[in-house]
Amino acid sequence: MNETNPSVTEADLHAYADGQLPETARARIEAFLADNPDEAAMVAAWQAQNGAIRSMFAGYEQAKDTDPLLVVPPRAIPSGSKRWAIAAAALVVFALGAVSGHYGPALLEKPELQLAGDETLPKQAETAFAVYAAEVRHPVEVFADEEAHLATWLGKRLAIQHLKIPNLQPLGFKLVGGRLLPVDGRPGAMFMYENQAGERLTVLVGRNTDNRTTSFRFASSGNVETFYWIDGELGYAVTGEISRETLRKVAEECYKQFPS
Amino acid sequence: MKIPAPETFEGQILALLPSLRRYSRSLTRSDADGEDLLQDCVEKVLTRRGQWRGLNLRGWVLTIMTNLYRNGRRGKTRDGLIELDAAEDMASSEPPADPLERARLDDALNSLSEEHRAVLMLVVIEGYTYGEVAAALDIPIGTVMSRLSRARRRIAERLKADNIITLRRPK
Repeated sequence: MNETNPSVTEADLHAYADGQLPETARARIEAFLADNPDEAAMVAAWQAQNGAIRSMFAGYEQAKDTDPLLVVPPRAIPSGSKRWAIAAAALVVFALGAVSGHYGPALLEKPELQLAGDETLPKQAETAFAVYAAEVRHPVEVFADEEAHLATWLGKRLAIQHLKIPNLQPLGFKLVGGRLLPVDGRPGAMFMYENQAGERLTVLVGRNTDNRTTSFRFASSGNVETFYWIDGELGYAVTGEISRETLRKVAEECYKQFPS
Repeated sequence: MKIPAPETFEGQILALLPSLRRYSRSLTRSDADGEDLLQDCVEKVLTRRGQWRGLNLRGWVLTIMTNLYRNGRRGKTRDGLIELDAAEDMASSEPPADPLERARLDDALNSLSEEHRAVLMLVVIEGYTYGEVAAALDIPIGTVMSRLSRARRRIAERLKADNIITLRRPK
């Protein structure tokens, strides 16, 4: 080692490359590097790596329109009132149980079923996709040439004023048409899209029974992928047998276009 | 959709999302995996909000994300071939690097283990000091240094190996 720099370690060199050394220590390393071209080349390579890595990921530092949905707690039911509801239910069960043990279990199961709203949505979306996307001749009830009628009709059935059918043309998907179908036992809407390769995707809109909002969720079943979210009174699901990345873009586009 | 007020916990997390997105993408192999990690992390942060001590929210969240990545990401990659796709359309203040160079660096980064990649990205992307990395990952500083060193050597080797192939190819 150089006698003026008796103890330059590799750790010092990393710290120098990362700009983590105080001014005085930097001068010592610089003197060392001036005398040691191999180490100097190594440090230069590390600094080039740092720069390349930073510029590679810099573009990702940006907000998305859907970000507010991400910070909505997964279960937006206030824990206090939920706990109270469970306690109340338990009390009723206990009271009834005293009269007749027979009805206890059935009453206990009920709240579980009601909680499952956002979990049933992706399943229903997958089923609708599986059934209708495979239909060659009758994939929809109303075809895209009657788009205005389709929007008014389904808007009326779902009680949504000015229902707007998302335009996915920028992503290469053309509207095929739509149909009415039950979502959680209530009227729901399904829109179908198709790209030039003949790949189809469906957008499902249903009424949400409990006024609750969730973040963007992803569900997968075999090759069929679904993005879904609940925004206040409405639940949405986008389903397709296409790459998750494309589907995510579709979901974000729908989210932007549907009224909030 | 309700946008949380800036002073609330949710509002503070919302404000952090852009830079968290950059960090999560720097750890993962595809845009989809980056968004998944970000989403998992935010969910965990919201459910664990009671554990935050009121200081350095960003550091607390980064540690949670890094641990999620270290503990559960192995083998989870589905779309390994979709790499840096959306980055092409994203506005960036810097001129786009040579696509071939980017692909090679991406490949080199993807060859790192989770442990090595996490240390490297905390230092390079987040600007953590080595001491901060040691504290965040709960490992000795010597381990931080050896992981950083290995990661850098590995990247350099991969880039060099690629060079040889590239030079031979046009014959």
